[in-house]
Amino acid sequence: MVGYTLRRLIQVVFTLFALTVLVFVLLKLMPGDPAVVMAGIGAELEVIEGIREELGLNRPWPVQYWRFISGLFTGRLQAMTYHRSVWAVIFLRLPATVELGFFALIIALVVSIPAGLLSAIYRNSVLDYSVTTIALIGISIPVFWFALMLMLIFGVFLRILPVSGRGMSIALFGQQWLRVSFVTWSGFRHMIIPSVALSSVLMAMNARLTRASMLEVLRQEYVTTARAKGLKERVVLVKHAFRNALAPVVTNVGLQVGTLIAGAVLTETTTAWPGIGRLMIEAISRRDQAVVFGLALFIAAFFLISYVLVDLLYAYIDPRITYD
Amino acid sequence: MTKRVGLFLALGLLVFGSLALAETPVPETPGATVGGDLVIASSQTFKDLDPRIANSAYDSYVINVVYDGLIILHPETLAPAPWIAKSWDILSDSQVRFYLNEGIKFHNGEDLTAEDVAFTFNWIADEANNSPNMTELIWMEEAIIIDEYTVDIITKAEYAPFAPGFGTETQSIVPMDTVLEMGDEAFNLAPVGSGPFVFVEWLPGDRIVVERNEDYWLVYPNLDTITYRPIPELSVMMLELESGGVHIADNMPAADVPRFQANPDVEVLQVGSLSYFHMYFNLNSPISSDIRFRKACYMSVDMEAAVFSIFQERTGVKAYGCIPPALWANDQPWLKENVYLEEDDEEAQRLFAELIDEGVLPEGYTIRIHTPLDPRRRQLATIMATNLIENGLDAIVIPLDWGPLLDLAYRSESDPVGDFEMMWMGWSGGPDPHDFAFYLFHSANATIGSADNMSFTKIPEVDELLDKAATTLDQAVREEYYVQAQRLIFGNYSAIPGYHYVQTTAIRANVEGFLVHPLGTLWITTPFHNVWLDV
Repeated sequence: MVGYTLRRLIQVVFTLFALTVLVFVLLKLMPGDPAVVMAGIGAELEVIEGIREELGLNRPWPVQYWRFISGLFTGRLQAMTYHRSVWAVIFLRLPATVELGFFALIIALVVSIPAGLLSAIYRNSVLDYSVTTIALIGISIPVFWFALMLMLIFGVFLRILPVSGRGMSIALFGQQWLRVSFVTWSGFRHMIIPSVALSSVLMAMNARLTRASMLEVLRQEYVTTARAKGLKERVVLVKHAFRNALAPVVTNVGLQVGTLIAGAVLTETTTAWPGIGRLMIEAISRRDQAVVFGLALFIAAFFLISYVLVDLLYAYIDPRITYD
Repeated sequence: MTKRVGLFLALGLLVFGSLALAETPVPETPGATVGGDLVIASSQTFKDLDPRIANSAYDSYVINVVYDGLIILHPETLAPAPWIAKSWDILSDSQVRFYLNEGIKFHNGEDLTAEDVAFTFNWIADEANNSPNMTELIWMEEAIIIDEYTVDIITKAEYAPFAPGFGTETQSIVPMDTVLEMGDEAFNLAPVGSGPFVFVEWLPGDRIVVERNEDYWLVYPNLDTITYRPIPELSVMMLELESGGVHIADNMPAADVPRFQANPDVEVLQVGSLSYFHMYFNLNSPISSDIRFRKACYMSVDMEAAVFSIFQERTGVKAYGCIPPALWANDQPWLKENVYLEEDDEEAQRLFAELIDEGVLPEGYTIRIHTPLDPRRRQLATIMATNLIENGLDAIVIPLDWGPLLDLAYRSESDPVGDFEMMWMGWSGGPDPHDFAFYLFHSANATIGSADNMSFTKIPEVDELLDKAATTLDQAVREEYYVQAQRLIFGNYSAIPGYHYVQTTAIRANVEGFLVHPLGTLWITTPFHNVWLDV
């Protein structure tokens, strides 16, 4: 187990290294000179040249690459347009994304797992058809459209929720990278529309997965045995079937955590949520190569590590799986 | 919205001098309610709060309330008026002396003196600092401290007859000692000015909050606080406006204008902006350098109908020359009458056939039309391409993000010609025709690597007229030069004028004392404004 974990972690390091090269080359091939974008229309040639010099953009690629990589490790790499270090820029925006992802996940789980279970238990009933239909709709409708509809209904027509933004937030222990908003009433209310919108896709996926997994388990012989032993149906369902049906769902949720961190771009842009998804779009349009580079690596690392954790967790949930 | 650029050379000495004895006016707001939090929605995120390097119109929303300007442009006449400077004297062709109001304090208690004014100006103009605003002070030689409250600005010889028309946030004054102590980067994140509102916090991507400067020297600001929120999706911004979540929306899609005009809770404010959008021809290309090709393209499309179909005269009006109708010397009626080409497909086809026969236009060649991602310009480019295809040519629209588009438009040593025939581009400037005609069509600006004259129009007579206009005092004479220059430029069909953007700002009905500004910036408390919330 320890050996396996170590091997996986080494893989992660190599993958990340390959990614740094890939992301860097992509950034450099991306059309649009950062200095021209930063200087703005109508800038003097000298200013553009000066900015190039200042940011080291006129140096050979390997030199620039080394500046990026070493700067990220020492934490000294400065963003090109944010007046802060790259890590500071990312960590200032991260709490909003984590908070939103966390709430979206909670909402998704609270709704989707019971819905999936009931749908499997009462298979082919009206309830089952409703759940599968709603889930299908949930997977199909675009998040930004759903968010806009929520804003229109709850923000404009009913006027019971704020339309967009993050509302009041508080920096815990005075630390900006621990800034949370759900603890204030305003922040909590602002959280509802974005997190419901973001959870819609997860909700639908998890409900369908729970249903499918539960149906498969219910067909297993040990469930029949349990019933034959004369156990109460509730005990059969909860103790024998549900626990085993949960394994694939847990895996899926683990993978979704990565997606939530990286994939909230649409939700964040639509709802004016100040997270890292929107930061990515912003940094790309400003051609802030340092921030794009740092953020791409951060998200990749997060993804890779969450995958390793899911693998390890899987072994814990399902004792049949062992890693030599 | 395009970035605001332009020299702001503005207004000759006569206008400037006529106000020289005025005192700084104080806004009067009888019956105003004091208090409240004004929420302003910006369609882009904020980048810089240091006026020395901030060059986006969005940043200026905040900068305008945190700092005071040396002077301000009158909201209606756009004539320079006193602010920090209570008056000024024209000492010579190249020297203006500013007398500052005494007793102005920065938010940290330091006095605002001539030293701060000179520091701000000299820093921006210093090439070593790579300020994107250096262009705006290119006419300036140096700012010199005369005494504690007097400062002289010396202009370069070639700009002698101009007095600088300040008034943008770039002429907002920063406290020298504080900047030197904090360092440029830290100052940018926690700015200190002398303006009506004090910076409180900046939560990146979320909001910027400022609160009333209780000791503001000019007037007691009516609002308690102002919250600035970037909302990138315009449709969401409109929902916020409708729900009352924001008080001021800095932009509005044309389609929403009638709906909000009918909404009693919202006021839609519009003013012709100092902007100009055109589809220029690449005069470096062997194909579009032929005037018959340019005229044939022009005649392939009904540009009046195209512009109308997109803006419905709500958020944009048809342009016939580069100088906006809000400015003098625009000559739009004459240009419309004599230069504008109606759609004439037969004539266009005849010219195209002639060009193909002569080998100027290779058979089967695909005309390339570039455009920024802005949907309006993309639509206009598509209309042009469709019309060219109907006239038997091949044409393609290539929308590009700003970076690559500017790379292409500025040309480079490796590609001085530029691989395209037409490009949609916009320009905005200050309240002087020079800002438009000179930058867009003088050969001095057709420089590879940073070409404001992106069409690479090089007409000696035009250069001569524009040079004379830039060195003449008499506005009537200058007007004549600009009129003649524009007639030559557009008679050469270097570009097909597109539209002038109409600055559209929407406010909730309870916002009082707010005036929309042709320069696209937002003013809250100044010598002419003191916005309040009616509750």
